[in-house]
Amino acid sequence: MADAKSAYSIQRWLESCPQGYLMDTEYGHDPGAREPSIFLESPVLREEAIGTTVQLVVGERAALAASSGLINAAPDAASKAFLATQTLDEARHVEIFTQRLFDLGVRPDELESTIARHANPHLVRFAEVLLEKVDEKDFVAGVVGQNIVLEGLAFSTFEMMQAAHRESNPKFAKTLAGTIADERRHVGFGENRIGTLIREEPMRRPEIERMQKEMAYHMLATLADRFRGQAAAMQEARRLLQEQASREGAVRTRQEWHGTDLSSADPGELEAVLAETVLAEFKTRLTRIGLEYQSPQRP
Amino acid sequence: MSAERIELHAREHGSFLDEVHSFEFWFQSVEGYLHGRPHGLGPDAPRPALEPERHAALVETLSTYCVGEVAALEGSGALIALAPDRRAKIFLATQAVDEARHLEVLLERLRELGIADPDAVFEARAHPSLLRFRARLAELVAAKDWIAAVFAQNVVLESMEFAAFHAHLRTADPRTAELLAGVLKDERRHIGFGENLLGRHFAADPGGRVRLRPLRQELDALVLASFDETLLRLGTPASERPAVGRLYLETIARLGLAA
Repeated sequence: MADAKSAYSIQRWLESCPQGYLMDTEYGHDPGAREPSIFLESPVLREEAIGTTVQLVVGERAALAASSGLINAAPDAASKAFLATQTLDEARHVEIFTQRLFDLGVRPDELESTIARHANPHLVRFAEVLLEKVDEKDFVAGVVGQNIVLEGLAFSTFEMMQAAHRESNPKFAKTLAGTIADERRHVGFGENRIGTLIREEPMRRPEIERMQKEMAYHMLATLADRFRGQAAAMQEARRLLQEQASREGAVRTRQEWHGTDLSSADPGELEAVLAETVLAEFKTRLTRIGLEYQSPQRP
Repeated sequence: MSAERIELHAREHGSFLDEVHSFEFWFQSVEGYLHGRPHGLGPDAPRPALEPERHAALVETLSTYCVGEVAALEGSGALIALAPDRRAKIFLATQAVDEARHLEVLLERLRELGIADPDAVFEARAHPSLLRFRARLAELVAAKDWIAAVFAQNVVLESMEFAAFHAHLRTADPRTAELLAGVLKDERRHIGFGENLLGRHFAADPGGRVRLRPLRQELDALVLASFDETLLRLGTPASERPAVGRLYLETIARLGLAA
């Protein structure tokens, strides 16, 4: 426990995060970095970027509500301290992704209406399932839902998006790199802290597994909506980026992620590789904490 | 005061809040006094030996402070759900980390003072008035009374801590004083949030003061009881004790909530 206290202390967080990989950044990116002009000038690319960023804001708002709501339910000072750092990490993510919406030209007075218009209803429901457990002050279910399921989804999604934007949008890719580092820490806490508690309360397993199944269903439905529903816009966005690269004489390299070239895969392949990666991570992590992954119905 | 700071206050209010209620502003604020100072202490912080009586008084006092910090940590975390906008949520997230850091540095100081597992014992050593205050704050949060909970936490509790730490600095050993000085810098920001928010609320709804007066009287009694005993333990001269209470009461009075 002494090691866990040190690993999840405020001091360790200060040294690794704000005083570590966030040093000399501004909203998570290099100071002065701008969205590439093509993302602002092309209506297709801008709308696609806004739609994607809104899903990130919705997810991070849920994570902020969940991590802050779990502080009171945490059984010890070390867990409270870690959840406080996670709360501020999630607040930072809300701030940087909201700022990206402003950078993409969304006016502050149209922020909420933009989010309401683009937020995927399955992602909203995914968050509600988690927040019901948080409202009940159910620490074990809340941490599984937040630090294994939600953070697991966020971790893989951010990794994939970072790989896809490394060349076309270095500003956004840098922003994502910091959030990936945060999510890695959050997932680690979920595994380390909850495994012990699940072993102490084995009777909780069925109920927590039901929550995981419901959240996994809404996650898959969100991915299906985003990749299948937006396929035409995604293909058009890719064509525009390739045209620009050709005009500039740049050679677009493979954007390899889990064996898939993100620059050439069709939306169905992208959905499949992300969904399978996230689910494989769920299975591994749930097994480590003594839970059995429950397969949801495929949307 | 820097030109930049003056420029900040000259801004339109919404833009001002965007700036000061942000992760970026928080980090710029804390970096100066936390960098290279693990657990709030510089590498050259002295390690004074304390007389047994003074040692025991310090352990009791720091234990009481821990209860205040846990109350503020739980309060600021829970208030995020009640906060009406993104700026307030983000500010409260920064406050949650500040409070968790205060708790961590106080627990670390208790370990240095020979308390093997301070997490397990600080509540039992703390002043009962502050334990009652913590329970009352939790009730206000559970009732989802945003204004009353912010008043209890960011005005009453933070002002009490500010006044108590300020008084303690005058008699503290140098190691504890260094630690408290860092904590005090955070408390100023937290009180500022509460005063700004409640000031705007009362401007729009002057009747709000009337509603909070009974709560203020109830919490004052808990705060002042805790002050009396803490200052006595710390060896604050009797002639100076009323001034500490006044420092606390002045903050409350600034909001037009004088008894």
